Amino acid sequence: MKLSAILIQTVRNLRQTWGSQIMTLATVTLSVLIFSFFFLIFLNLKHAGIRLGDNIRLLVYLDHQPTAAAQAKIRSEIRSFGKVDKIVFKSSRDAFAQLKRQLGPDRDVLDDFDPEFLPPFIEVYPLRSLSSLSHINNFANFLATLPGAQKVQYGRGWIERLGYFTQLIRLILFLSGGLLVLTATFMVSSTIRLTVVSRRPELEIMRLIGASRSYIQAPLLLEGLLQGVLGSGLGIACLYLLFNWLQHHFNGPGLFKLLQLTFLPPAMTGAILSVSILLCTTGSIVSIRKSLRL
Amino acid sequence: MDTETSQPAIIEFIKVNKIYPPDVVALRDVSFSIKAGEMIFLTGISGAGKSTLLKLICAMEHPTKGLIDVQGRELSSITPAEMQLLRQKIGMAYQDFKLLPGLTVYQNIAMPMEVTYTPNRTIKDRINYLLDLLNLTDKKHIRAGKLSRGEQQRAALARAAANYPPILLADEPTGNLDQDNARLVMKLFDQLNRAGSTIIIATHDPLILRDYSAAQTLEIRQGELIKNDTLDN
Ligand SMILES: Nc1ncnc2c1ncn2[C@@H]1O[C@H](COP(=O)(O)OP(=O)(O)OP(=O)(O)O)[C@@H](O)[C@H]1O
Ligand SMILES: [Mg+2]
Repeated sequence: MKLSAILIQTVRNLRQTWGSQIMTLATVTLSVLIFSFFFLIFLNLKHAGIRLGDNIRLLVYLDHQPTAAAQAKIRSEIRSFGKVDKIVFKSSRDAFAQLKRQLGPDRDVLDDFDPEFLPPFIEVYPLRSLSSLSHINNFANFLATLPGAQKVQYGRGWIERLGYFTQLIRLILFLSGGLLVLTATFMVSSTIRLTVVSRRPELEIMRLIGASRSYIQAPLLLEGLLQGVLGSGLGIACLYLLFNWLQHHFNGPGLFKLLQLTFLPPAMTGAILSVSILLCTTGSIVSIRKSLRL
Repeated sequence: MDTETSQPAIIEFIKVNKIYPPDVVALRDVSFSIKAGEMIFLTGISGAGKSTLLKLICAMEHPTKGLIDVQGRELSSITPAEMQLLRQKIGMAYQDFKLLPGLTVYQNIAMPMEVTYTPNRTIKDRINYLLDLLNLTDKKHIRAGKLSRGEQQRAALARAAANYPPILLADEPTGNLDQDNARLVMKLFDQLNRAGSTIIIATHDPLILRDYSAAQTLEIRQGELIKNDTLDN
């Protein structure tokens, strides 16, 4: 099969059936766009969870300042329970200094207080990962059982809510993502099949004048490949435009500023592109085989 | 002639039956053989089975019973690759033309030559020659769907003849043509036949049959061969 013959045939096919070609292209583009958009949201939420985790720490108030030996024991106990980024012991004086710093110009109100009136405490920074954040409740309960622990404090409410939220989003994403892959594959392969069916007379003539299998199939295959390349490329391009638009319009203060959107990493983009191209090509092979019965 | 009878048959039917489902008997126990280089007329009234017989030769349809040999190969036991090569050697002008309406006359006629990788120059020269012969030159770049039936018929014939096929099958080639155009078509057949092509023409056109009254004919009636005056018999 000569390359030039394949190309001529492909161009002729595209010109003949441009209506359904555009339909297929739109389907591929839209599927890729929808899927990658969901993926973008998912990735950004994950990043956001990690970044919010930066500020998360648990404070364990103690009834007395532990000795160096006791400190080491407490450290090892905490580490044996869960993964921890950092553990910092603060004495009563540290707590007093910190409070003073926080009060700023009003710090004189503390002048009459004993610099040791505040209890010593431990700052525990959990590892910044979604899973350790979602188990923060258990972690807090454990910390309360440490020797000398009086009270454990952390931003319980919103951490829990963030945990549930990300869990829910993850579930929705996996379900809708799977659904999308299925519908996209189905739509693409059935659009290609429609094209092949509408071209039956042509394929029949080709067969009757003794065209080889590859002579008939190569242009159709190339067509599927082109659909995949153009469709997924367009889809990703649209996503990029959408992403830029979102960044521009939600760049003000508030949640989106906090979230700091990031685009899909190049490896991910590459994976989405190649999977769509693969799906389109396989789709066209399958539908050619089905409709031709050579 | 001795030299002719010793020549092997290029097309041979042995007790061929064709039944279209559920029970339309189109051909019944048809046996004949045709030698290379002959020009045969296939006659019979409408519905007799002429088209069916031609479709069996180019393997567009398959016999329900019996054997068909074409160029020394038995069609039911042929591999797909051999079938493809065989089809390149058979030019068929279908009764319903089977032109692609969206392609121009030129593109339609070029198809069989493109499939056999004929150089573009040769394709162009051949098409120009055929269109000139068949009086179609001014329709060269018109889409086949826009042609009159007579023009479509001639375009279909040009496509069948394009590759100088060793076997040319023409189903009612003059059905939509006036006498002058019909004679042009017969001129094309004579040319190809002199160059060595075996030609089978299914027709009930009395004018042609009168012009070629001495030619060999196969006549079928209700699926049965009732007259065979080919050189074989
Ligand atoms: N695809 C088919 N399915 C069922 N019956 C068919 C089919 N093709 C042909 N027939 C029947 O087979 C018989 C022979 O048909 P065929 O087309 O071979 O006749 P013909 O001699 O070519 O007629 P005409 O001169 O009208 O073209 C007819 O009775 C026809 O109805
Ligand atoms: Mg007929």
